[in-house]
Amino acid sequence: MFDRDEDVLQRVIDHLRQPVEMDPTLDAAVLARVSTRAGRFSWLGDAWEWLSRPRDIAVSPLAGFAAAAVAGLALWLGVRSPHVAAPVPGPSTVQFVVRAPGAGSVALVGDFNDWDGAATPMLAAHNGALWSVTIPLTPGRYRYAFLVNGSRWIVDPAAPRAQDDFDTPSSVVTVGG
Amino acid sequence: MPNSRRMAVLPLALSLLVPRAAVAQDPRLERRLDSATFRAVSAVIDSADRLGLPVEAMVQRALEGTAKHASSAQIVAAVRRLGQDLGAARDALGAASSQAEIVAAASALRGGVRVTDLTRLRQRRTQDLTVALATLADLVTTGVPPDSAAAAVIALAASARDDQIADFRRAVERDIALGAPPAAATAVRVDATLRQTAGITSKRP
Repeated sequence: MFDRDEDVLQRVIDHLRQPVEMDPTLDAAVLARVSTRAGRFSWLGDAWEWLSRPRDIAVSPLAGFAAAAVAGLALWLGVRSPHVAAPVPGPSTVQFVVRAPGAGSVALVGDFNDWDGAATPMLAAHNGALWSVTIPLTPGRYRYAFLVNGSRWIVDPAAPRAQDDFDTPSSVVTVGG
Repeated sequence: MPNSRRMAVLPLALSLLVPRAAVAQDPRLERRLDSATFRAVSAVIDSADRLGLPVEAMVQRALEGTAKHASSAQIVAAVRRLGQDLGAARDALGAASSQAEIVAAASALRGGVRVTDLTRLRQRRTQDLTVALATLADLVTTGVPPDSAAAAVIALAASARDDQIADFRRAVERDIALGAPPAAATAVRVDATLRQTAGITSKRP
């Protein structure tokens, strides 16, 4: 068994040691491809040389004023643009739970879903006494309330109240960064 | 006028002749507000946007109003008041403040916290202020006098983490719910939190 393996191995070695015959046109083909690449680089070089070569440009005063106005406008708009604060951290998942026994439906409605009563329905548990939902929220302070049966607003008894603008109280939740 | 000054003024004058594109009217508001309310609210929000204020909070306030079937006058007044609070909050905290910080600060101002206290808070704390400002607003809503709430949060600002400030707020609310006077509860809990941040353990809970 061992002798037979050695024999196979020796025959593989002998085969690999045989010289490989190369196509006589290979060198010419390689040189032709290199020449083509060099041509492309030469075209880019010409373009760069054209762009970077100093030259005299004549501009009328009117064109100069127009260019200055455009630059001034861009600067003015840039200065007035809202400051871009540090990147906002990713969202955290927040669970909302409310007790609403006997309710047919309960929805979570707030600043995070455009106060849309159909956007975030809550799921009932414990024979319909507790309703809950978990949503992702980016850091910030959000006003919200629960909408029971599509018509009755209730606040979250476990959360701080928001200042009331509409004679229907809301709660607030704050998500830290 | 010297030529050099004319050349400096000209770009500015030309730029003023170019009208800025009006802020796109928010389709959410257009869809859900009546036309008169929509026009009035859009004008207020457009003005706020030109000042660089975080107008999404104003959009949400208008949507909250319409979801709760508030009157047009109530909705416009609420959005306008929020815009004013956001402007004052941004001025107090500085232009580099995040939108979340400005929105939280506006809530604190609405509760009666002074502008100077917001500025002091910014000076005391280098980290993000959102939780500290929200805590301030929540304490005031809970019944803590604005000056007491501001003094407490400013005292915590330099050393307490966000989670410690949030715990402090929950403890104060719990004490108040159990019958403690709001100012006294705040004073006791801020002292306990400061001891905690300093690594001093108390024998009493």
